[in-house]
Amino acid sequence: MKRLRSQLFSLCLFLPVVALAADSGFAGRWQLDTKRSTALDGWSTADLVISIDGNIVLFRYEMTWHATKVTAENEAKTNTAIEHPDFFRIDQRHMAVYARPKEAAHVQPAVWLDGEHTLRIEAQVPLETSQGNTTMRLYQEYRLLEGGNELVLIELHSTRSRPLIYQFTKVPAEAAKK
Amino acid sequence: MKRIFVFALLALSLGATALAREAWVMHFDGDWKIAGGLPEKVMLIGLQGLANRSAPRLYIVHAADFPWEITGPLQDFYQRKHGVHFTELKTADAALAQFARYAKGYVVWDTAVMPTMNVAYTIAGLEDAVVVTEALVLLAEKHGLKKIDDLRGRYTGQTDEQIYTDAKARYWARCSHDKLMLMGGHSGAIRIPGIADWGVREKMFFHDLSANPLHADELALEKKFLAGLNPGGTIFGWHSYAKDTEEQHTTLISTFGLKMEGLQSLPNLSFNCQFTFTPGFKFTNQHHVARDAKLVAEQKVYLSFVQSDGIGIGVWTKPGRGRMPLAWGAIMGWVYFSPAALEYFHESATPGDYFIGGLSGPSYMYPNHIPAARFLGLMKEADDLMKVLDERIFEIMDNSAADGNLGNADLTKETVDRYYAAFPDMIGFINGYGPARTRDLRDTRPLISYDYYIDPRRPREEVTADLNELIALNAKRPYFCLVHVRESNDVNSLVEVIKNLHGPVEVVPLDTFMKLAAGNKTYMTRYQLPTDPKHFKGY
Repeated sequence: MKRLRSQLFSLCLFLPVVALAADSGFAGRWQLDTKRSTALDGWSTADLVISIDGNIVLFRYEMTWHATKVTAENEAKTNTAIEHPDFFRIDQRHMAVYARPKEAAHVQPAVWLDGEHTLRIEAQVPLETSQGNTTMRLYQEYRLLEGGNELVLIELHSTRSRPLIYQFTKVPAEAAKK
Repeated sequence: MKRIFVFALLALSLGATALAREAWVMHFDGDWKIAGGLPEKVMLIGLQGLANRSAPRLYIVHAADFPWEITGPLQDFYQRKHGVHFTELKTADAALAQFARYAKGYVVWDTAVMPTMNVAYTIAGLEDAVVVTEALVLLAEKHGLKKIDDLRGRYTGQTDEQIYTDAKARYWARCSHDKLMLMGGHSGAIRIPGIADWGVREKMFFHDLSANPLHADELALEKKFLAGLNPGGTIFGWHSYAKDTEEQHTTLISTFGLKMEGLQSLPNLSFNCQFTFTPGFKFTNQHHVARDAKLVAEQKVYLSFVQSDGIGIGVWTKPGRGRMPLAWGAIMGWVYFSPAALEYFHESATPGDYFIGGLSGPSYMYPNHIPAARFLGLMKEADDLMKVLDERIFEIMDNSAADGNLGNADLTKETVDRYYAAFPDMIGFINGYGPARTRDLRDTRPLISYDYYIDPRRPREEVTADLNELIALNAKRPYFCLVHVRESNDVNSLVEVIKNLHGPVEVVPLDTFMKLAAGNKTYMTRYQLPTDPKHFKGY
């Protein structure tokens, strides 16, 4: 009985977080504002589609480079770490730094912060460089700004002293359906 | 054979000094619009090809924003080193008054059917015709020229494949089978057929057929032309930006073992080809290490910078050159048809400038696709040219599987094996355009790919951050970081980038870099793998 009460108490604590996150305005299509963002390298445009289902957060990146279109999907869970193959980041494509396709990134449990206005993702991303295999520790904060129409992705690399800052604007739901 | 080649160059060099030295010059503006300045320029460039058939008579200096920035400095070089006295011709009328005698008539093309410009140029070469639009007919006739052909209406409503099929039937048999003109480039409102003088002079067939598999009819027709060229043949010009990609077209040409010499805008070849090196001139590259030197790398980051794009469209004439060591991919084929330009570059080289051979062969080719039976012959030609130019490092590029300057630019192991066998005297090879990951070290000869490509539009603080991140990711020391500098980069800004890099960093000339990399292999051997992603899978 004591155990059941404890579980119910935990559930009561957890439910609002999930509900808040689901309704927090993160979900939907976001378009990169290239003029206000860190300069892309080897990409022309970027759309980010976020969907939230309980403890699962999905990030779909829709990238273009001239006529080339690339779609990649990342997943994070708020209650557990996961191993994620082909983890995607908006990479600087003129650097000889390559994803290792058969190896998974270790993605820490995602964390909602700041009253569910920030989502934190941390991952260990396996990479190949000219000297062989290495790992980059990647830290991302997705911050929903006042008004809910702008999203900022702040990304830090363990190997880069300069943050990458990507400003997204919400695509209205009707336009996003097209 | 090698000796014969050098003697031939020397003989040409001595012969060049005996030529008459009166010539004429025109200054072009930057208006290449079909509805503006193009028709007159098309006529004048074609006329240049005719006027320069038997002697170098007409030279064109282009506007400051023209892709090839050396036309002014090279005119000065001709005056200084070859004693050429130039008389300026200010109008098309004046040019025809001077040179109409080298034409037998005119051919009319139609600006509403742009392939007729190429067909007209083909006719111009074969029939000694001036190429005019309807609006220029009276001007041509004023100078006594009579109509040889009129393409107005002949090809209206036809596809490019139909037009060039007809032209092939009419003219191809009489055209050069050693050289073919790919007169592509821009689409829409402008064209820049700067190299047309060369095509007219050499009686080439002009076309802008597509190498895009989506345009199957055009591709099939182009293959017939390529198959009809003699072994060792060269395609001059450039692909049509509207139809296909550089990667597709270079792959196609390489598949036939043929050579590519760009661009469609390259000017004055009909003039340049008639001058060779000045008496006594010998290429002397500024080597920093002996061929058999053994260097020991320190525990630091070694950077070396290469500017591989056509040297004449690069930063050569911009301020800042010489402030840092920079390797330059000279266009080796210019030994044949633009030697004065090569001499000009060598003459004006600073101690920081170092010349390397390439690109992939005696001219631009994709080696993964060169037929095995043609490979050694082509590389023998490249090796001979490098000996003339005193070059010891060879640059390779294969973007057949790449997406522009991104993606897979790697070499198969079989291709790497062939290069090591074909160039025993090289001190090393470099590979890529964008970044690549083909690397090797055999005996003392490294093959190193670019670890970074500097996009000229990328903010310098991000370039600095990118290079610092590469330094962090490649944590072993020494780290050998080869950097490709895109042609329009500003050298002064690169000097500032280098000042802000982390750790013990040294920028070294490319030959020093190769010798250091030969001494301590901290890079992984790798070749293109079948599983690596390919943007274009070839034909």
